[in-house]
Amino acid sequence: MSFAPAAHHVHESAELCALRVDVRAFIRDEIASGGFVPAVDCWLNSWDAAFSRRLAARGWLGMTIPVEYGGHGRTFLERFVVTEELLAAGAPLAAHWISDRQIGPSLMKFGSEEQRRKLLPGIAAGEVFFAIGMSEPDSGSDLASVRTKAVKVDGGWQLTGSKIWTSGAHLSHYFIVLARSAPLDPEHRHAGLSQYIVALDAPGIEIRPIVSMNGHHHFNQVFFDGVFVPDAMLFGREGDGWKQVTSELSYERSGPERFLSTWPVLAEMAAATARGDLAPDPELGRMFARLMALHQMSLSVADALTNGRATDQEAAIVKVLGTATEGDIAELAGSTIGGGDASDGLARLRAMTATALLSRPGFTLRGGTNEILRGVIARGLGLR
Amino acid sequence: MDAPYRIDAQLEQTLEQVFSTAAGLQPGSTDLHFDRKLWATLADLGFTRLTSQATGATWIEAAGLLRAAARHAAAVPVAENDLLAGWLVERAGLPDEPALIRTACIADASGSATGVPWATEVDRIVVLWEAPDGWRVADVPRDDATISPGRDLAGRPTDDVRVDLARAASAAIPAACVREYDLRGALARAVQSTGAMDRMLALSSQYATERVQFGRALAKFQAIQHLVADIACETALATAAVDAAVFQMASGHGDLDWLELAVAIARSVVGHAASVTVRNAHQVHGAIGTTLEHRLHELTKPVLAWRTEFGSLREWDARLTDRIARAGSDPWSFGVRATRA
Repeated sequence: MSFAPAAHHVHESAELCALRVDVRAFIRDEIASGGFVPAVDCWLNSWDAAFSRRLAARGWLGMTIPVEYGGHGRTFLERFVVTEELLAAGAPLAAHWISDRQIGPSLMKFGSEEQRRKLLPGIAAGEVFFAIGMSEPDSGSDLASVRTKAVKVDGGWQLTGSKIWTSGAHLSHYFIVLARSAPLDPEHRHAGLSQYIVALDAPGIEIRPIVSMNGHHHFNQVFFDGVFVPDAMLFGREGDGWKQVTSELSYERSGPERFLSTWPVLAEMAAATARGDLAPDPELGRMFARLMALHQMSLSVADALTNGRATDQEAAIVKVLGTATEGDIAELAGSTIGGGDASDGLARLRAMTATALLSRPGFTLRGGTNEILRGVIARGLGLR
Repeated sequence: MDAPYRIDAQLEQTLEQVFSTAAGLQPGSTDLHFDRKLWATLADLGFTRLTSQATGATWIEAAGLLRAAARHAAAVPVAENDLLAGWLVERAGLPDEPALIRTACIADASGSATGVPWATEVDRIVVLWEAPDGWRVADVPRDDATISPGRDLAGRPTDDVRVDLARAASAAIPAACVREYDLRGALARAVQSTGAMDRMLALSSQYATERVQFGRALAKFQAIQHLVADIACETALATAAVDAAVFQMASGHGDLDWLELAVAIARSVVGHAASVTVRNAHQVHGAIGTTLEHRLHELTKPVLAWRTEFGSLREWDARLTDRIARAGSDPWSFGVRATRA
């Protein structure tokens, strides 16, 4: 059995604690001055470019990007602390989420010098926002089957096809596209894929909204009709697309956005219980405990990533448990509150719960379904 | 960044070796009997009083010891002797004879305590009780106590004890120690449970890989993979919660409110993890796992028994609800401290 249990307890340093204090003070000021209203699933649904720029002004975007590229040269753990505090507060993070979480670190790892100089300063300033183009209508969890084609032409590549579930593409400046740059070899399905940085205002791009069942619009389908991408915007190495998209999955899977999407619901339930508007329910304590334990696990994965240790299993575990718990909190609220009226003090909770319940199905789907992730965990256990 | 805590790899290896000699159950019996041979080995190595005898060992090492013991279903009262009774003797400044084997309990005003682990098997019972002028503690020879033997659902001796409090030589002890005693007991059970879960995971993975049905190893069925994956998930989460509480305990800063929060989180997570891990481990093993001849029950039964000690799962959940509601402010800053204790 090759499975190593995840947990090694990480105790935060005085510096990290001080950073939490700073972020909490900023959040208090923002809420007091009407800078934002705490929301459920804020990292996907709450787009506020002005808020992103206020974070940038504090040095809290592009934190891990080196100073020479306009970033702040801080550690992954420092970024973890800042994002965790902002998520718990339900702050509007959607505008910069992808560029800050994914694109910045990916550019540092795979990007060309020219790409870094061109894009990183804007990412750290909250001026350049990204979306991601991976899934296609016929390629959901099975990414190797993508059919968007990149054909080599003079001075660049020509992209044809479409990408689906691209959150925020209608508001972003760029997106990063996984496309087939060489014909499919059934023996090596993961070969022949490449990534491209595509400007979303390029000729030949059409963005069609996909409205979610809660009425929100963050998803899109993006169509390419022979879109030209210059050679300089090939991302990483030709043919290395699969390796590149899978190499950073631990960051994407283990982060605090995988267990805090409904924290504002839990906080509101606690407040309502304190006011006497809700009867004390042990289930609330149970959910709180799970999230505190997930915080510890997620922190220990962040620490492991900082120190260059591989954590695919642990990251998958955080995501399986975290996203299920987010949904369980929505369920708990949904099964606790009745129809009621404005006089019962639960209007705010009722509104949040409606959003949470309708967002819930997405929690355990996005970023790798829980069924796929259980397979990853089972592989780590030597079962497959 | 502080170094993430870990127990010394060499110590971990030694513990694993020592406990792999644990006797386990007598064939055909549901009763657990004190493994005195193993105890003698542990005593020789200084493992029977790891933390309560100025060895420099902390709860971090003790947790490693308890996990190894639980992983091998060892029938030895290490938690009771060291972390509870030994600690009380030390705190109260009672005369100590480290070779004596002890358990501990809280008695009512009449000197009665129920469900005291290992009472029939030990030399001494350290008894706490609340006298009119405050809490007292006494180190009572077992033969001075009246004991009605009993067993918990894991077959471990859990006995009813009656002590003549007036005759016992006792010392005063602060009420805070009694509160800490409860938290120590609660955490010890949580630590032990994670050890047992860890082994349940190993046994389940192994069985799924070896057992062939419909021409394939069970492990090839996705439904089975997911059952085992969920054991891994819950065990990992429980271990993370327990490690955080062990860290609080080891830091010894004496903030009992903060310690209680960490222990409550651990007990809640471990208690709910027990539901999933026990159910899934048995489901993977099929009928053979429900028999006395298969080892699995030596791991699953203690987890269910430990969950009932030092507060039920529901009580811990309710305590957390109460704490976060009383905290008033945002439960986030209440749970995730931004100041170092």
